[in-house]
Amino acid sequence: MTKTTVGRLQLGLSYGVLGLLLVMVLFPFYWMTITSLKSEDQMRSLVSMFWPSPVVFENYDQLLRKTDFTKWFANSAIVAVSSTLLATAVGTIGAYALARLRFRGRAFMSSATLITYLVPPSILFIPLYAQIRALGLSDSLAGLIAAYPSFTVPFVTWLLMGYFESIPVELEESAMIDGATRFGAFRRIILPLAAPGVLAAALYAFTQAWNEFLYALVFITDVKQRTLPVGLSGFITGDVYGWGYLMAGAVLTTVPVIVVYIYLQKYMVEGLTAGSVKG
Amino acid sequence: MATTGLSPSPLPSRERAGLGGGFPAETGARPRTMAVELRRILGSDWRLGYLFILPMVVLVLGLVAYPFCYAIYLSLTQKYVGLPPVFVGFENYVRLASDGFFQRAVANSFVFTFASVIFKLFLGMVMALILTSGIRFRSLFTGLLLIPWVAPTVVSALNFLWIYDGSLGVLNYLLVKVFRILPQGVGWLSEPGTAMASVIFVNIWRGFPFFGISFLAGMRAIPGELYEAAAVDGASVVQRFRYVTIPGIRNIMIIVILLSTIWTFNDFAIVYILTKGGPGGTTQVLPVFAYEMAFGAQRLGEAIAVALYMLPPLALLIIVLARYMRKGRAR
Repeated sequence: MTKTTVGRLQLGLSYGVLGLLLVMVLFPFYWMTITSLKSEDQMRSLVSMFWPSPVVFENYDQLLRKTDFTKWFANSAIVAVSSTLLATAVGTIGAYALARLRFRGRAFMSSATLITYLVPPSILFIPLYAQIRALGLSDSLAGLIAAYPSFTVPFVTWLLMGYFESIPVELEESAMIDGATRFGAFRRIILPLAAPGVLAAALYAFTQAWNEFLYALVFITDVKQRTLPVGLSGFITGDVYGWGYLMAGAVLTTVPVIVVYIYLQKYMVEGLTAGSVKG
Repeated sequence: MATTGLSPSPLPSRERAGLGGGFPAETGARPRTMAVELRRILGSDWRLGYLFILPMVVLVLGLVAYPFCYAIYLSLTQKYVGLPPVFVGFENYVRLASDGFFQRAVANSFVFTFASVIFKLFLGMVMALILTSGIRFRSLFTGLLLIPWVAPTVVSALNFLWIYDGSLGVLNYLLVKVFRILPQGVGWLSEPGTAMASVIFVNIWRGFPFFGISFLAGMRAIPGELYEAAAVDGASVVQRFRYVTIPGIRNIMIIVILLSTIWTFNDFAIVYILTKGGPGGTTQVLPVFAYEMAFGAQRLGEAIAVALYMLPPLALLIIVLARYMRKGRAR
């Protein structure tokens, strides 16, 4: 075989496997979407499985008018946005200090941040629940806003430490030679340069808070105070699953994350992900 | 990447009066020597440094360190929700060690984690190799393959709950009516023989794109000359993979495997939504077991003991992983 034939075979194989992976990855989302557009009758009768006929919006109608979905959506938005703003502010200055400033205890704090980021919620959720309860914050969104920084702050800090380190230190030094203070150099030079990274980290934190399930499940018992993941999963506790409106809810819960992710994709391809190391 | 298009601009002079220890703004001999002494002991940027990490320290102490220590204490007590804890020493740990349900949850957790991580590693490598093989529309396909990783876990678990459904689920429809592989439908999540594999599949499905994207980033950082040199030396495709690609992404592989092992071992949502540990405990894993112990049986002390039993292996993973992650950064 010549070189080009081998190359063509390889490329053909790549496209073949890619096709299989795409089907596997995308089918559940396709299925979720068409289920949300099917009528109750069609779902029960197993006709035209792979396309809604007719396309109906009764599931969305029922979801928005007869369930607490809009309330949960608002709750999720409040919790995710507030905890993201908090985490980004705290994480950005913390990351700058750990990446750039010289002070005693810096190495220890860097390690502590990383280890905190790696400690999983399944170890912390029960004592954190006890603590939130003791503070009188159980069953309130404030409890979640207070708890989510336990994973978003270490994450944002770790991500941005790498980002700050990639900005040449000479930029700050020359600003300081021109008379700027450390803080001035941070605010005028470094922060504007790091803005895309800060935004990316904030959006990551937002999706984490938006998707969070365990703390929200444990801390909240009042149906009206639920966030989207807990609210949606609550639909399956009854004997009769309303798959149509459940899938409609799943679609609407996924949309904000996908929108955020379209912006984030280029950072993820560059390796700015949860592990975030250059290798 | 962040530095493009920057032209250094002179700074307004009022910045001089700002915060920070960059320049000694103090006047008079005595304070200056004290400031110099402090800077020598605490580091040249200690004031701004401590100010900037203060909020983080407060949060980490309050939200992680304190609950963690409190957890260790609670695990040594008998504690019911709403009642004060009663100290019982190591009783919870001793009782758990001989508890058959706990033992099964430990075994299941290991099976769940090990099987998931192996397949995620394999599929992630396949994904990265495809995406570096010169296909068209690479960034579009990368984006599409990443969707399971970014979609809310709860949504994905609910999707699969519906797909796996015994009577109306599309998986049975495909296998029985379309491809005619099976004579009749399977209760994927309700039968002990298939429940664990079904749950593991969802974890793999959700997690492999993270492996793929991380390996992809690592492979793209390998200099092209290495491949050219290997090709000149007559290395085959397999040899180039073995001797150029794998060493090039070795650190990333270790980090991703360790990270995913921690996450998988602690995955709560997928098992909780799909099976709640059933049928008959066949998919019971430690996080769900701890949850049910705490909020089903209301035995908080024992539930925390379950969680803390996970700690020694996790601590080991975390320490090793933290080393690699810091090393990866140091370059």
